Amino acid sequence: MKKLNVEICACNRCIMMGAMDIRENVESLKKLKTQLRLNTQVDLVMSRRICQNLGEEISPVVSINGEVMTNATPESVMEQIIKLTQRK
Amino acid sequence: MENTNKMRGITTPVTNIRRKVFTEIAKMAYHDKDLSYIEQLPYKIVPGEVAKYRDNIFKERAIVGERLRLAMGLSLRPVGEHQPLANGIEECAKPEKFYEPPLVNVIPFACNACAETTVTVTNNCRGCMAHPCMSVCPVKAISMVNGRSHINEEKCIRCGRCVDVCPYTAIVKYNRPCAAACGVDAIESDELGRAKINYDKCVSCGQCLVSCPFAAISDKSQIFQLITAIKSGQEVIAEIAPAFVGQFGPMATPEKVFAGLKELGFADVYEVAIGADQGAVEEAHHFAHKVATGEQKFLATSCCPSWSVMAKTWFPEVAECVSDALTPMVATARVIKKEHPNAKVVFIGPCAAKKLEAQRRTVKSDVDFVITFEELMGMFVAKDIEFSEIEVTEPLEQATGAGRGYACSGGVADAISQSVKELYPDIDFKVDRAEGLRDCRKMMTLAKAGKRNGYLLEGMACPGGCVAGAGTILPINKAQVTVKLFKDKSTKHSATESDYVEHQK
Repeated sequence: MKKLNVEICACNRCIMMGAMDIRENVESLKKLKTQLRLNTQVDLVMSRRICQNLGEEISPVVSINGEVMTNATPESVMEQIIKLTQRK
Repeated sequence: MENTNKMRGITTPVTNIRRKVFTEIAKMAYHDKDLSYIEQLPYKIVPGEVAKYRDNIFKERAIVGERLRLAMGLSLRPVGEHQPLANGIEECAKPEKFYEPPLVNVIPFACNACAETTVTVTNNCRGCMAHPCMSVCPVKAISMVNGRSHINEEKCIRCGRCVDVCPYTAIVKYNRPCAAACGVDAIESDELGRAKINYDKCVSCGQCLVSCPFAAISDKSQIFQLITAIKSGQEVIAEIAPAFVGQFGPMATPEKVFAGLKELGFADVYEVAIGADQGAVEEAHHFAHKVATGEQKFLATSCCPSWSVMAKTWFPEVAECVSDALTPMVATARVIKKEHPNAKVVFIGPCAAKKLEAQRRTVKSDVDFVITFEELMGMFVAKDIEFSEIEVTEPLEQATGAGRGYACSGGVADAISQSVKELYPDIDFKVDRAEGLRDCRKMMTLAKAGKRNGYLLEGMACPGGCVAGAGTILPINKAQVTVKLFKDKSTKHSATESDYVEHQK
């Protein structure tokens, strides 16, 4: 089984710009049955300040298996997750 | 309920732009920028050369410009006249409340001019043999054109019967989102078909501004003036409404929010639930002495200003049945001013209508500023305050669970009911309640007809209660859960146990 570590920045700015909405979307994936999740285990954490030192106007910030996404949206994060689950 | 509130609680480009505007205005105040800096802000909020949401980037920036003005408390500029963005900013940039009516504004050129209530045939129509739509139409507005059902707009009376009978769900009836959200039918149209608010009807609940998918409606803010007042060294004390729990993210426990407010420069912070406790007990006494004795027909709660203004203006015959107990905002402000006579009080809440309530002649001297949770979040971000870095030990124990429950629909009635049961155990206590102004109107119609005599009527303008107010951040269902958790954690549960409640019968 594949593993995805999703980290969502929980700083004030990222929360204000929609971090909780992204969490909601990723969580909804976790509720699916394993087959529908393409045999992937999704671990989700809200971490403090992973957006630090990445510059201005970049919130929300999400990191998936260490790969950082800036100005993340539920669409872009879910797209990335689906892409990674399908990778051999 | 019709198509109201579907968008609530979802972070969209609309919410993000609104929040960026608040953050930039707060930064401008914190960093002592020259007031002309506001001219640059539309370029900061909408960077680059390519439009993202509308037909062109110039329009996007012009709309953000108007939003920035409203966030400063300024009025909209006339579209057909040259005026710099900063026009009038010197007068408003002072450490005291600045307010030019109206509170809620439609930015006309941002409005999509959505059609008023319309019944439309969609692609789902198969032009079926039965075509029951044609049979049920009372005005024969439907015909078959090119193998599909067609509605003659001029004949159609928008009754929606065809919608109900279509086997393919092919006919839809929709209202403009702003008008659907407005429980007092205050949204009309201007000569270009754009939404226009009838201010004789509007009670400033703010539901239209969070329901417009084109970000065309906004209220005015006082954050700049508030921050200026704090920076000028005045003693500014915050009172925060019970709906605040959980609004500022998973790291922001209630205690940390209080600590964060002090870091923002507030001299002290009070729970508005204190005033709710006082109001619950006062209304319990009033109910026992007046309503239970039959002297007064019923008692309508007073805490939600949009509801109480609607009840009094739409139903003048029974206006005296609306409680005259101080709203929790005002009661708490009086507690603060008694303990700190020289302080300025800012109410921080979920609500747009409270901004107007604070303008009332009788309230003006009690509450100096009103801001929303969303505006406060902009201040936290502008000041770079992180809840994860705040250490707190003392639990928050100012108010009781009953007062804290005021944030959700049903909570006000629960608090009063609990107090009545304790103080007057023999009284027959009946409750009816409504949320959303449209349903509130229905409840008041029954009350006016004498069908709610001996009742306590709880009215809340926002569907869901205060946690659904126009200035909230957290999705409504989540906020109801966090408020309940905090309520249950309270060391005191009944309003009668509050230290701030004086005991007399």
